[in-house]
Amino acid sequence: MSESLHAVLEELPESSLTTYVLGALDYIVPGEWENIRSLEVMAKSVTGESDEGIIQQVGERAIALYADPDQGYQRAVWLFQMVDHGSTVAGVASALSMIGSRVDALSFLSDYAPKPDTTQSIDAAVKIAAELAAFCVTNGIPGDSVGDFANAVINYGKEEKMRLAAWLALDCVLPLGPDFLGKLMDSVRSFDANDLPGHAVFSKVADFIPGDWMDKKRTLEATVESVGGHMSSLVADGTVTREGVLDRIRQYIEVSDDKLDVVAAALDATTNTFEHTGIQTVARRVVARAYAEI
Amino acid sequence: MKTSALLVAALFGVCLAACSKESPPSTRWNDAAAAVATSAKPIVTASAPPQEGGAFNKFFLPDGEGGYARVFQQEKDGVALAILKKDGKDVATASIADTRTNDDAKKKFDGATEKVSGFPVIKVGNNQSSVLVKERYQVKISSQTLDHEARKALLAKFDLAGLAKL
Repeated sequence: MSESLHAVLEELPESSLTTYVLGALDYIVPGEWENIRSLEVMAKSVTGESDEGIIQQVGERAIALYADPDQGYQRAVWLFQMVDHGSTVAGVASALSMIGSRVDALSFLSDYAPKPDTTQSIDAAVKIAAELAAFCVTNGIPGDSVGDFANAVINYGKEEKMRLAAWLALDCVLPLGPDFLGKLMDSVRSFDANDLPGHAVFSKVADFIPGDWMDKKRTLEATVESVGGHMSSLVADGTVTREGVLDRIRQYIEVSDDKLDVVAAALDATTNTFEHTGIQTVARRVVARAYAEI
Repeated sequence: MKTSALLVAALFGVCLAACSKESPPSTRWNDAAAAVATSAKPIVTASAPPQEGGAFNKFFLPDGEGGYARVFQQEKDGVALAILKKDGKDVATASIADTRTNDDAKKKFDGATEKVSGFPVIKVGNNQSSVLVKERYQVKISSQTLDHEARKALLAKFDLAGLAKL
């Protein structure tokens, strides 16, 4: 028996490195994200009701919906958690790789760690694949999931918008620069379909993406292109720049290194923005459904 | 290596200092969680399978009706939800749900005095209006800005007669 929805929400930290970073990046999507950490507050946010009887009904129905594994909500939370834990490994790998390329005594490390740009690009692409997979298991939209997903991303709000803003800033622009989309697409295209099963996180995410390996790769390409393309307008209009992101983070966290790739790798390894906001997204969708069903 | 190590240490330092404050867990939901844990009743039961959520889509108010863009949001066992947007902002949620997954939901229509397209309609709390079609399907408009009359007007734009034949 997995944890109850209310417990999953209450375990989210009120303040942590992740919440500081999300707070620092709030300027990208002002006012969208609120750190909701209880079922009661989420039910009030979704319904706008103050009648405690209605809040109780909605909350109880949401708990029942979340508890049924066939409804997919627990799987969505698992996907968000896994992609963050997977990126911790990638973050450490690229940090080690950078240390290796800079410090003679540890240069042997670069023989083992992948090149940072490649690692970061694949990591960023896989996070979007996980977003797609979590979207499908949460919302259950059948048919052309890529087209539906692309349309849904344009209509993203609240925690979802915050998560993609953090992805853009921390996984794309900070480590890869303003031309991140080209690097992401190159990495995804050069990914041989035969290599996909060897990528630990993507191989798990891919179970939730339809088709054979070639189809999955095409889906990943199309998704990265549509989501990255949509998000890159924030880079084109100057809202998100490497310097801007670093300046904002510095207001909240002491960052003692100017090497942007090192900072990005360290943030990647020490924060879990997908898990944190992903739990909030899933809770919001479960509660919205519960409100429709009471 | 020294700078990187310092950086990571500084990051963890912030976390250790800030993560310690946690509020106590709530007890409000314990009974509900315990009931779910012991009964483990699935949402979909073999004895009364609900409609597929996708079967409801064609009965929703049309995209563009009343100037609202309709964006389907969720489609699960026995339920479909769409957001109604105007000028890029979410204004309301439209939904159709099969009460087979939650039989209790029908009780609130006992004594309903209002009707939309011949079906009983009630106000739920302050922000929701709900129609019961064929004593089975619950059609709702939920909005924190539209009042009951405005919500009823939107409910009338659903194909409720069509839904009754499903």
